[in-house]
Amino acid sequence: MLGWAGTTRRCCRTDPPFTGVRGHRLNDIIAAALEAATSAGASYADARVVDTSIEEIGVASGVVEGVERSDSFGIGVRAIAEGAWGFASAAEVTPESAVRVAREAVAIARASALVTGEPLHLAPVEPARGTWSSRADIDPFAVSLEDKLALLFAADEALRGEPHVQLTKAHLGFRRQHSWLGSTEGTFVEQTAIESGAGIVAYAVDNGEVVSRSYPNSHGGGWSQAGWEYVLGLDLVGNAPRVAQQASALLTAPFVEPGTRDLIIDASQMSLQVHESIGHPTELDRVLGEEAAFAGTSFVTLDDIGSLKYGSEFVTVTSDATIPGSLGSFGWDDEGVPAQRDYIVREGILAGLQSSRETAPAIGRTSNGCMRADGWNRIPLVRMTTVSLEPGTWSFEDLVADTEGGLYVETNNSWSIDDKRLNFQFATEIGWEIEGGLLKRMVRQPNYTGITPQFWGSCDAVCSRDYWSVWGLANCGKGEPMQVARVAHGAAPARFRNVQVGVGR
Amino acid sequence: MLTPIQARELARHVVELTPADQAECLVAAEKSALTRFANNRINQNVAETNALISVRAVLGKHIGVASTNRLDDASLRAAAEAAVAAARISPEDPNFPGLPGPAPVETPERAYPSTRAFDAEARARAVGAIIDQSSEHGLTAAGKVRAAEHTIAVANSLGVDVGMALTGAQATVLSAGADGGSGWASFLDGDAANLAPKALGDVAADLALRSATPGALDAGEYAVVLGPEAVSDILDFLAYVGFSAKAVEEGRSFMSGHIGEKLMSELVSITDDALAPHAMGTTFDYEGQPKVRVPLVERGVVGQPVTDSYWAAKLGRPNTGHALPAPNTYGPMPLNVEFAAGDATLDELIGSVKHGVYVTRFHYVNVEDPVSVLLTGMTRDGTFAIENGKLARPLKNLRFTQSAVEALASCQGVTRERSFIGVEESAAFAPALLLGRFAFTGQTA
Repeated sequence: MLGWAGTTRRCCRTDPPFTGVRGHRLNDIIAAALEAATSAGASYADARVVDTSIEEIGVASGVVEGVERSDSFGIGVRAIAEGAWGFASAAEVTPESAVRVAREAVAIARASALVTGEPLHLAPVEPARGTWSSRADIDPFAVSLEDKLALLFAADEALRGEPHVQLTKAHLGFRRQHSWLGSTEGTFVEQTAIESGAGIVAYAVDNGEVVSRSYPNSHGGGWSQAGWEYVLGLDLVGNAPRVAQQASALLTAPFVEPGTRDLIIDASQMSLQVHESIGHPTELDRVLGEEAAFAGTSFVTLDDIGSLKYGSEFVTVTSDATIPGSLGSFGWDDEGVPAQRDYIVREGILAGLQSSRETAPAIGRTSNGCMRADGWNRIPLVRMTTVSLEPGTWSFEDLVADTEGGLYVETNNSWSIDDKRLNFQFATEIGWEIEGGLLKRMVRQPNYTGITPQFWGSCDAVCSRDYWSVWGLANCGKGEPMQVARVAHGAAPARFRNVQVGVGR
Repeated sequence: MLTPIQARELARHVVELTPADQAECLVAAEKSALTRFANNRINQNVAETNALISVRAVLGKHIGVASTNRLDDASLRAAAEAAVAAARISPEDPNFPGLPGPAPVETPERAYPSTRAFDAEARARAVGAIIDQSSEHGLTAAGKVRAAEHTIAVANSLGVDVGMALTGAQATVLSAGADGGSGWASFLDGDAANLAPKALGDVAADLALRSATPGALDAGEYAVVLGPEAVSDILDFLAYVGFSAKAVEEGRSFMSGHIGEKLMSELVSITDDALAPHAMGTTFDYEGQPKVRVPLVERGVVGQPVTDSYWAAKLGRPNTGHALPAPNTYGPMPLNVEFAAGDATLDELIGSVKHGVYVTRFHYVNVEDPVSVLLTGMTRDGTFAIENGKLARPLKNLRFTQSAVEALASCQGVTRERSFIGVEESAAFAPALLLGRFAFTGQTA
């Protein structure tokens, strides 16, 4: 039995009375799958039933762009046979389909064994039993559609006060995922996560040019494991006039002069910087080459733990699945490994990697619980939980005042990084030149580029916990078939010296 | 797996279950399997059976959408009622023209028995053949072999009733050496019988051996020969941000204000043509309307963007049949984009370059400015300096920051041979190109 000490689980039970479906208890269906897999010759199997409901509502320029509710329900079985993996899944969740899917998974594993290497070994984990759920003070699925649309129309209307703002968007998204996991090692856990997201965007258009300004973040807005209270707390309507005004002003703002500058990056863009240049390259499956053909590999090698200078002494990064409200939080990962906090980079030195039961033995450790699948029809992969740049000591005001000449940038506009996660280039929506310790002229869509270890090595200041927040990213793609993970990053504004900006402009 | 007849029947049934002024049902069923390999062994091997039922309910000009993957009658009825409930509460969209009526649709046979029969054992044998050449040369191979079967059907209360099955077989291989070399090859076809796994593995391994110990290149503008994989990225982004009537109307497209103008080289002709004999994917869109051939760029001159029923009515233009599933925030989108073939071979393109760069494919491309289609991304898996018409030396991966429109304005050569890149529902059909100017702005460490 796994303990709960030190975690932030909001509620728990130790004897899961799994929900029934069409006359069957889900634990019976999962048990049937596991028994069928074992009978077919599996040395290990796990079965997951996942029930996901999503609501998406969008408004654009005063018109409803979409009101959609979607549900997805199914079972997936993962099995090891003859030392190799197989996985099968189906939308039908009955004892009969569970048996069929389990047998198919074992047959696929046997086919995998035709082209295999060393037999698989999974790092040990104590069988988990229990339940976990995220916190939602106000169930977003219980809030009326009228209230949701009223908020969106008010925010959308408030964006349309500027003459050049010709296209406005406001959206809400809600997701509830209920999952049940069982394994042949005795794990049986049930988890429920509720997520809420919202955002607004203003597009200013003039003379064949378009710029956008978003709040609270671009590419899907802000997301949290929370209820309707999260949406209310964003104050979309109150922020809309500023967003629209900045979009309009950006149309006539100059581009940043190409060159090298001291760069202060806001917390939201820092979260993506962490995601792309620390989160992904420290996924152990990538380090081992398991994702080489699609997402790529990593410049990090197994021998680098404890020695690689990833960044300056101000750079400490953690992987933490226990942060309340973060999209990267859970009770157990999809292998039944308990949520935990681990160091990835400690005072600039690579300290660990994000791992799974299969990959962790390569670094002589047990799994730190990063295996997640994006639904019943996908296998778990090593995915980020909440990978955070730990806060420093600076206030934002002092950091700007301490910067003689430089650039401050906010909110991601585009991102790109090479297949080893070394050469990156980010563009942001907006920036301000810094002169003599003061924010001065606004600049339009500033971009910057760098090489990962050198860039993090140039970090000489991170703002304090007062400026630190967790940013949910609901669109992290990885794997084939593609999976879209919901991850998060804690970050505060930080400063980097001598960064190349204004590329290709 | 649902047949087209079963899927159409299901779609009609859901339409009947939907108590609305107008109703539409999209059925998208899939049976797919993917064998993944890395480090010269199969590391992931998955299979999936699923069917998505999406209902669009219309009350006057109020619209709601709901979807489910549960096919029992109670769940279908619940989805229909959820769509109606959403429509009832949604404010009306004054521009909504109503659902489109029926129109004749050709449904050629695009599902192949060999792909349906491409089971786990057959895929494993293909993987074995792909990695052979890499193993023999001390290289590591990674990639996938995938087989998928789709059934798409659309019905609506005005009489739309279409359905079609299609299959796709795909294989990719990355071969990598310890000395920094890497190579790539890919295959996509409706028919798995056309896959030659050993030859595919050989191409990637050969490229990996030739690209060992890559070197540096100064940032700057170069003549560049892009392989079909790299060209497909450019086509995808032009389609994503440029070829939609919605993007054009909103002023976010390179086409906005330039229709009829010559913005690219005369060698550039890009069409969307789902009816071409070689095309993959469905011949109707997600509203059940026939896809029409659309010249998007003709001999460098900007053509018309694609439309769906909503944007056709709003702009007073014909519906070209390019709707995505409702609700659709992107607007219409071309999913059968092809670049017209030229008359050159790849060797001829390379042979005509005195000083330039050859790119096998790009990695992680993104848009910095949609209007100029300013893209940034990296090269990977076979980048070479071209000197005096030959691939002179391998290069470390390069970063580019380049407007796609300006790049295509400098197009100087197009190959006869073209390849399908992507997935069967939305594959690009791309040749290799010689571009006179392409801005490389950095290089990996």
